[in-house]
Amino acid sequence: MRTRVRFSRVLACGVALAAALTLTACGGNGASAGGDDKIHVLVYGDATNKVEKAVVDKFNKTSKVKVVLDTIPGADYQQKLQTIINTPQAPDVFFNWGGGSIQPFVKADLLLPLDDFIAKDAKLKDAFLPSVFDSAVLDGKAYGVPMRGTQPVLLFHNKKVLADAGVQPPKTWAELLDAVKTLKAKGITPIALGGGDQWPTLMWFEYLYDRIAGPELFKKALSGDKDAWASEDSKKALGMLKELVDAGAFGTNFDSVKFTDQGSPTLLARGKAGFELMGSWEYSTIQDFDKAFAEKSLGYTAFPSVPGGKGDAAALVGNTNNFYSVMKKTKHPEAVAEFLKLMYSDDFVKQQLAIGNLPTTTNTEQYLDTSASPAFSHFQFDLVKKAPTFQLSWDQAYPQSAATPMHQAVQQFVNGRLDADGFIKAMQALPTE
Amino acid sequence: MTTQMTRASAPRTVTGKSSRPARGSAAHVGRPGFAWAVPATLFFALFAIAPLVMVGVLSFMSWNGLSEPEFVGLDNWTRIFDDPVMIQSIWLTLLLTLLGVALQTPLSILLGVWAAGEQRNRAVLSAIYFVPLLLSSTAVSVLWRALLDPNFGVPAQATWLFGDGNLFGKQSTAIGVLAFVSTWQFTPLHTLIYQGAARAIPQVLYQAAEIDGAGRFRQFFHITLPQLRNSIITSMILMVVGGLTTFETVLILTQGGPGTDTTISAYYMYQKAFKSFDFGAGAAIALVLVVAATIISLVVVRLSGYDKMRGTMEGMS
Repeated sequence: MRTRVRFSRVLACGVALAAALTLTACGGNGASAGGDDKIHVLVYGDATNKVEKAVVDKFNKTSKVKVVLDTIPGADYQQKLQTIINTPQAPDVFFNWGGGSIQPFVKADLLLPLDDFIAKDAKLKDAFLPSVFDSAVLDGKAYGVPMRGTQPVLLFHNKKVLADAGVQPPKTWAELLDAVKTLKAKGITPIALGGGDQWPTLMWFEYLYDRIAGPELFKKALSGDKDAWASEDSKKALGMLKELVDAGAFGTNFDSVKFTDQGSPTLLARGKAGFELMGSWEYSTIQDFDKAFAEKSLGYTAFPSVPGGKGDAAALVGNTNNFYSVMKKTKHPEAVAEFLKLMYSDDFVKQQLAIGNLPTTTNTEQYLDTSASPAFSHFQFDLVKKAPTFQLSWDQAYPQSAATPMHQAVQQFVNGRLDADGFIKAMQALPTE
Repeated sequence: MTTQMTRASAPRTVTGKSSRPARGSAAHVGRPGFAWAVPATLFFALFAIAPLVMVGVLSFMSWNGLSEPEFVGLDNWTRIFDDPVMIQSIWLTLLLTLLGVALQTPLSILLGVWAAGEQRNRAVLSAIYFVPLLLSSTAVSVLWRALLDPNFGVPAQATWLFGDGNLFGKQSTAIGVLAFVSTWQFTPLHTLIYQGAARAIPQVLYQAAEIDGAGRFRQFFHITLPQLRNSIITSMILMVVGGLTTFETVLILTQGGPGTDTTISAYYMYQKAFKSFDFGAGAAIALVLVVAATIISLVVVRLSGYDKMRGTMEGMS
């Protein structure tokens, strides 16, 4: 009897252990691509999901092959995507930022080039603004169809603070430096910077390099030409940035401030800072906590021109758009192609605009007045439409493995831990493939 | 049935002056059989040994999570030991661990001994003081990040102390913040250990000391502290292990920054593996951490005599 008691206890424990194991095994099954009549679409989980859900519902009404929408919440998206993408749990279609965010997948031969889809339906390419569509073209092949909205980086300002100081929104670099001096003399932090997040600091580099050297310098560097970073233009851009920092443009405690916890936009909205360089999402971020300010006193302009620079003053940097890319192993390429066609449909565009996103389809323009903030949407759309080039954010253009060392170098240059030579060396050491 | 019979009769044979149970009954009651250890062993093998072995193998491979892993020999190892950030991360880890021990030990001994008193107000205050222990590290870090915001947090109100409030922008202050937050969070745990230990010190010792004319300080240094010896060792080992594996605090408060100034080894491992997708280097760093933690624990155990763990009650009965 004693042995039997022992045995049954062992068995019970064994069963419990096995149960625990199967549970964990089941846990990962959420995004399985196994089903015969289903395609799984994986997107970044946030407020925009309601539009994606609506599109999926609409698609499922008529299609035999059903779409299942899976989401990964927030900031960990890229990490989790890369850990599941080469497993049976991988989706059929997934959200990404184009450029370097999909480059490792293209290299590992996981993605389906969309050229066949485009050959059958030219609108999958022509319905989108070319400067945007190109961000997901790698080695001459298209790997992504734009979805959601474009997010150019703009120079935001507090209208009241600028008016009180008698400062006009700057059109040139010299005017910006003057504005910095005037605001500083008044005891206001001239420019809010979320240095603790590091990527807001990177935006200053992206624009200055683009204005001074044009988009070619970065293109060369990205293709593996390390000399690009040591060029005269590169040194000139670094020198001008240093001048701005030394003029006290960002104050002294910017590395303790973050954008992601609303630290820097609050500085701008409360009138403690005059400017902030930020992606177009700044508008909706501020709208969330201070609607009145966003609508009345939040000003925005393009990044100032740099006279004498090779870059075009109309060129933009930022997140060109988000994209849907397709896995090579999908069992239903036709259904996927049908689903992607919805990304340029009028309904989809209208729904995106209603929640504050700015799609980059050619039919967007006619619906701009229906957007959540028409004036801001018009301003952005005109900028994007007129932009000769739209530089994808550096940390997304480079492979993911370069992002952390790039962010560190940028932060260390601005806080003085690295000099220009040190920064150039750090950028040269970044992996480009 | 026989078992029940012997069990029921066992106390009867044991009663009496003998301090040991009779041999016969001990054999009947028995130690738990080997089978009892099977679930725990399986669990440990599956979730500790197997991953450790896999990490060991992975540290000799190059893998980005997408392509097939390739053997690259010692490449990852030579890379991490040539990497100034890695070397710095080891020193930073040790520094933070030492700071943790140096700050938390005196604080928690004093608080624990104080809280061991029977007074009602002490019970209430220590209950409040244990609250940080109930919060997750993540919640604690998020809370302190907000409290220490330079423009809208405490530093903005106390510029005489914090200056421009650039706590997260300089290495010294960023390390200070990390040490402070861990101390705030973990001192209650160690206080709890010392409170229990201090309550277990026989009152007769203090009574005897008082008769001999020892004051409060002498009592503390000559009775309380020596009596807490084993608890101090236990708590220190917990602190060292906790310090070496600190992660969430860094992830949320500083992200290893500014630059790489607070990139401790555990965070660097995460950065290599899950941000740069260099799983080989991440695995190598993980092994370095395992080896370092093992060596340090062994040293602490040896130096402190924890392995022999003398009783503190000698000559008491």
